[in-house]
Amino acid sequence: MNSMILLARKEGGELLMSGRGLGWLLALSAILSVFGLLLVSNTELSLLDNAQVVYDMAGLVTALGALLAVVMGADAVAGERERGTLVPLMLTPMPRNRILLGKVGGQLIAWSVMYLLALPYLWAVGSTGQNLADAMLVVALLGTPVVLAFGFLAMGLGARFAGVRGTLLTSLIVLLLSASPLLLGPSLRQSVIGKVFDAVNPFSGAMNAYDAVIIDSQALSAQALHIGAILAWLGLMLWFASSSFRRAAQ
Amino acid sequence: MLIDIQSLRLQIDGTPVLRDVNLSVDKGEIYGLLGPNGAGKSTTIAVALGLRQSDAGSVRVLGVDPRVDSEAVHAQTGVLPEQGGFYDWMTARDYLDFFARLYGKEYDAAALSVRLEQVGLDPALTRAIGAYSRGMKQRLGLARALLPEPRLLILDEPTNGLDPRGRREIHDLLIDLSANRNVGILLCTHLLDDVDRLCHRIGILVEGQTVAQGAIAELLRAGNQPSRFRLRLTGPPSAEVPGVVRVVAQEGEWWVVDIEPGVLPDAAWRQLLFSGWPVTEIHRAGGGLEDLYLTLSERRAA
Amino acid sequence: MNMLRVVLIVLACAGSAAAGTAQAGGLSVSLAPLASNPSSPQMGDRLAFHSVIRNDGAAPVTGIIAWISLVQVDPGREQPVDLEDWNAHKAVTVGNLAPGQAIVTDWPMRLIQSGHYRVVISAVNREAGGLIASPFVEFAVRRKPVVESQRVLPVAFGIPLAIAGLILWRRWRSS
Repeated sequence: MNSMILLARKEGGELLMSGRGLGWLLALSAILSVFGLLLVSNTELSLLDNAQVVYDMAGLVTALGALLAVVMGADAVAGERERGTLVPLMLTPMPRNRILLGKVGGQLIAWSVMYLLALPYLWAVGSTGQNLADAMLVVALLGTPVVLAFGFLAMGLGARFAGVRGTLLTSLIVLLLSASPLLLGPSLRQSVIGKVFDAVNPFSGAMNAYDAVIIDSQALSAQALHIGAILAWLGLMLWFASSSFRRAAQ
Repeated sequence: MLIDIQSLRLQIDGTPVLRDVNLSVDKGEIYGLLGPNGAGKSTTIAVALGLRQSDAGSVRVLGVDPRVDSEAVHAQTGVLPEQGGFYDWMTARDYLDFFARLYGKEYDAAALSVRLEQVGLDPALTRAIGAYSRGMKQRLGLARALLPEPRLLILDEPTNGLDPRGRREIHDLLIDLSANRNVGILLCTHLLDDVDRLCHRIGILVEGQTVAQGAIAELLRAGNQPSRFRLRLTGPPSAEVPGVVRVVAQEGEWWVVDIEPGVLPDAAWRQLLFSGWPVTEIHRAGGGLEDLYLTLSERRAA
Repeated sequence: MNMLRVVLIVLACAGSAAAGTAQAGGLSVSLAPLASNPSSPQMGDRLAFHSVIRNDGAAPVTGIIAWISLVQVDPGREQPVDLEDWNAHKAVTVGNLAPGQAIVTDWPMRLIQSGHYRVVISAVNREAGGLIASPFVEFAVRRKPVVESQRVLPVAFGIPLAIAGLILWRRWRSS
């Protein structure tokens, strides 16, 4: 079997077969469950809120996916280096860029698991069916590059920083900064700085696209600007991870 | 020569870590690399494996510059780092199978069992590695190092965590590999008993510099280090053997003697036996390699 | 004579009230639900209201702006409703309404939330010193579950339980 695929399977397998990885999945599913139960218990939800609920669930899935990617990305390099498992890997005949691609494959497997885990939740809350299929599609198409980009960021930082703690802290700060426009009020987002930040921020790009597709029923093809910004961010983070990993010393 | 390092220099963040390292390991040879903590042993190994770039000097491993083609070096080198590096959630079989494939080898279940038995692990073990003892993990690390059927082994504290029987088993394995399969072994260890038993040659690294290199007996001779032994005799010695051994002390059956400089221990024992000494046990009692090592490292530090 | 004028005005006002009309300063605004509206609407249904703004005076009325407003009147939850998602047609404007002319407008509405509501059409013009409002039309919207518990509960409990089961199985297997 191709060594890259083998490594990706190992990295992804760690999520499903290790106690720590399964614990993470349990925690993430618990968060989605609590959100779903809160919705059921709220008898005052409006019709609009159903599309809003699917949008919120899509946003929550993407945010949790990005969080998982950051944790896995930090662990993939900095964590393995601390545990001593990175060196044996780097002492095999695998070239470093293939080791990195194998770890990228692991991130993809982890997000796929997360996405499959989230699909029943999206189905469960999307009872009126407003744009439910489109919601699932847009989360797959836009959520994937956003999540992977944060994973690459954490891997690149892990290759440059001494330990997991610094890597995780920095990655989480960047993730929070990206999510911050959504925590601000609409008026702040309308300022010049707010609009610029919204335009270049991949997380905002995904959420704005979700809003357009799920709530406003726009076509996916109309989200080209958001998709472009997200893909640019993905490419930048992949380059960052690749160049950092190549330079990573023992 | 499997490893040939000459005049290696390296600074890290402006601090000289390796000042002048010279080291060579030949086929079928066990070379012991000794030195105090922080001497630069691990850094030297990292350079040899292409994990670090040196500032000056020449490094050739298996005929290749590891800076240029580290993958070629890795394909034929087995390494046991000090920190084992295991995936706690895997079983030993899964772990070996995973790394075997990374080395481009495909081992069936029977072959993996042989690999596990070779290092003294039970092939039927189904527990995850996280439940293993330190000694078991050490054995597994050695099994991993042997997966590529290497021409060169680099082992950092391979008997760490092993009981005396386990240490003896590993010693026998390493001796077999070097003597019968011509594997060159670079052994980093603080256990001088291991060095004494296993190593054909040693190198002593102090503050990033090779201060001594060669066969133990030659180094002892060159360093004028007395070799002190405790001998158990069933009766009084028949005669003194001047120029061979000098009696230092006696406690009942036990006689403490120094082998005169320039005399090899094997030659001394033959002479004593021919002279009628009723020797039943021989034990090293200070002096020798430990004193040489301490002397050289203290001298350098001063 | 004066008594007759009072009776006629009262009759005119009574007649206006029966048709949901309010009058002020020559402008009258009426509002009525369409006959096609469902009798017991629920969330997600669509209603429409028909308004007529007539210039009953002798002089033209200029700068007319008329808009729709909605308030929720459930006890303890009285509040104005933001019509952003209920109604896309928020206002009409007319520059000049000649005497006897009328603006007829239909106001469609999607029912977003359950509760009891009153809808009103308000109008202002350049000549009048105050607001002209139609009488209220009241309607109730029945609740409809938007998040179905029979879908959410099995998923919300089932998936975490399945993962927890996998964790326990793994522990048992490795012990």
